[in-house]
Amino acid sequence: MAGTVIGEGLTIEGDISGDEEIVIHGNLRGRLTTSDAVTVGGTAVVGADITGASLSVAGQVTGDVTASERVDIQAGGKLVGDIKAARFTIADGASFKGNVDMEL
Amino acid sequence: MPRHPNEISVVGAATRVTGRISGDGALRIEGSVKGDINLNGDAEIAEGGSVEGNLHGIGLDIGGSLLGDAHARGAIAVRAGAQVRGELRGAEVSIEAGARVSVRLDTEFELDFGGTPQRRH
Amino acid sequence: MAESSVIGAGTIVSGHVRGDGSLEILGRVEGDVNVTGNVVIGASGRVRGSVSGAELTIAGHVQGDLRGTLAVLLESGARVAGDISSPRVGIAPGALARGHVQTDGEPAAVARPASAAARPAAAVARPDALRDLRRAAPAPAAPARLAPVAPARVAPARPNPPIQPSVAKVPARAETRAETRPEPRKPDAAKPAVAPPPAAAPPEPEFVPVRPLKVEPRRPPPPVVPVLGKGVKAKKKKSHD
Repeated sequence: MAGTVIGEGLTIEGDISGDEEIVIHGNLRGRLTTSDAVTVGGTAVVGADITGASLSVAGQVTGDVTASERVDIQAGGKLVGDIKAARFTIADGASFKGNVDMEL
Repeated sequence: MPRHPNEISVVGAATRVTGRISGDGALRIEGSVKGDINLNGDAEIAEGGSVEGNLHGIGLDIGGSLLGDAHARGAIAVRAGAQVRGELRGAEVSIEAGARVSVRLDTEFELDFGGTPQRRH
Repeated sequence: MAESSVIGAGTIVSGHVRGDGSLEILGRVEGDVNVTGNVVIGASGRVRGSVSGAELTIAGHVQGDLRGTLAVLLESGARVAGDISSPRVGIAPGALARGHVQTDGEPAAVARPASAAARPAAAVARPDALRDLRRAAPAPAAPARLAPVAPARVAPARPNPPIQPSVAKVPARAETRAETRPEPRKPDAAKPAVAPPPAAAPPEPEFVPVRPLKVEPRRPPPPVVPVLGKGVKAKKKKSHD
């Protein structure tokens, strides 16, 4: 499905907003908002608040994340910030520091 | 210059014109012209031809060298082997990759950045 | 080389985009784009900011300057308000652009397939290729660079081929040319140089006019003319006068 893919060598400083899937393998400093799924790849370094339908983190995210469905932090992934989601998982080997609010 | 607008006038490759050219009908320049050209017709600067002056016409096809402004009521086409320096103004201006240009394009059109509610300029 | 990125049609980026790799913009960017790879702005793409990359291919709308180290190509439907600079600039019919377009002064070592044989990086690599060549520096690539164009453009009745013999004589005046070049009378005083036919002698830069070399504006052409005059003029005399 069509969407946005930010490759590993790319850096975006600013806000990203959309209504489609967003995959980040590069760097983002700013804000990320979409009504669809967000995937933060293993090489990504994100310093931004993220809002989406769902969020999967395999890289580094520093910021608050809000998902209408779920947030999953993969092994090797790191999140520093608050989670607001109906459901969430933090895999074995993942790193997380922040608060979790499961009430939406 | 032709009396009949359907004729094509030609400035031959071995010809140099110093002075103004004006009139009706089409003109092809294979030699060199130093002076303004004002035509109620199409003009072509063939590859190898050169114009130093302003070129006004309906449709302009530039395959050679132009040092001056080109104003067309119709379209201006700059060919790959051309060399142009000046201002180009026409309903449409096309440039083939390979042309050597240092030109200012003055085309009338609007950008359309609308469509997304939160981004109005 | 790094991978490629896509800014989807439903995505808006408010900020700058930079880095390695290529980028396809189908959505909207309000900020500058500066990447090392190619940039493709699709028909739905909208960029308000400058765009820098290797080869830029534009089919959408851009309000900002475009700079391509290799090429900037505007496809039909493109709308660009800004300056364009690249060694190769193409604006297809149906594309509209407004601003300054410059092909000189852009360093690039690009091998164009059209003239692969005759156009080494040398000619393109130096931004002031034309100026350098005028200083009588040998530039085999210069005339050859226009080689592919010449045959393509030569119509059956074209006098260009017959003029080749005259070019052979030109090298004899190459030195004279170098001195007389600053003459104000030169029709191509600034940049534009006329493309010599493919057989042009190497020492002569692309500055060589196809017609006989003349210093005096009012003097009748030197002996060279009669050589080609007969054949050419005969064809020429259509509706002259």
